[in-house]
Amino acid sequence: MKSVTQIVASLSHVPGVVAAMIVGASDGLIVETSAMLNAEAGDTRKHTAALAAYLYSKVTRASDAARLGTPAFMRLEAEQGHICVVGARDVVLVTIVTPNANLGRVRLDMMTAAKGEA
Amino acid sequence: MSNPTVAEAWVAAPLTKLMEDARLISGVLLYPTGRAVGQFGFSNAADVMSICALTSAINASARELGRQLDGKPFYELHHAGAERQVFMARASAAGQEFLFVGVFDSESSLGVVEIYFGEFQKALEKLRPERQASVPIPAGDFEGELNRSLDALFGPIGKR
Repeated sequence: MKSVTQIVASLSHVPGVVAAMIVGASDGLIVETSAMLNAEAGDTRKHTAALAAYLYSKVTRASDAARLGTPAFMRLEAEQGHICVVGARDVVLVTIVTPNANLGRVRLDMMTAAKGEA
Repeated sequence: MSNPTVAEAWVAAPLTKLMEDARLISGVLLYPTGRAVGQFGFSNAADVMSICALTSAINASARELGRQLDGKPFYELHHAGAERQVFMARASAAGQEFLFVGVFDSESSLGVVEIYFGEFQKALEKLRPERQASVPIPAGDFEGELNRSLDALFGPIGKR
């Protein structure tokens, strides 16, 4: 099993990933994070981590309510890029991704990492 | 969710925003002396009185513990219960220190509360009015200060 540091390092090297983080699912606190690329506008990792974990918990409830089971992958598309989240038991993997990133590769690597983490 | 009741009007807006954004069940903003500045989620003055007294004492103990262990006072304190969690932290505005204690459950998270508390602190710093000349209060009048602030929040005893 890879360590959390290895998982974050591996995800942060995927082209288009601006930052990769492992975040506590219930408390929204960062367990491990990569450096944030292009952080001229300020480092928002702490905010993103807490709110992404919170959002993922709500999405999980919505998915349960719709009887769809646990969400496998969550992607939030915004004007300047994407936030991707995958749950892995007590933690969630969160990446901040540029608009032109290879989302298929990001998704695959996050899902594989989450399987290793779970 | 009821709106905050406040003893100082300028804290109403930031306290309401904190309550809503962080999805807090209840909370009290107070001076380190135990005097309440605003509260939400409580309908009973006795509860607020207990919380102010306990928070003031916990802050004093935690501050000293931080000094002993880490060389500086602890900044915040978090206690996770089975269903509800308590978040306690210091904020300052124009040199005046405040304490905040808030309660949340699984509808929120510590990370979310920390983020919005950070914004709350900035709002306090921005909105804090110039200090007005206040009526001198005898030093150590903890009970008197507490009662005056509770009167401001819930009305005088007998009219509550």
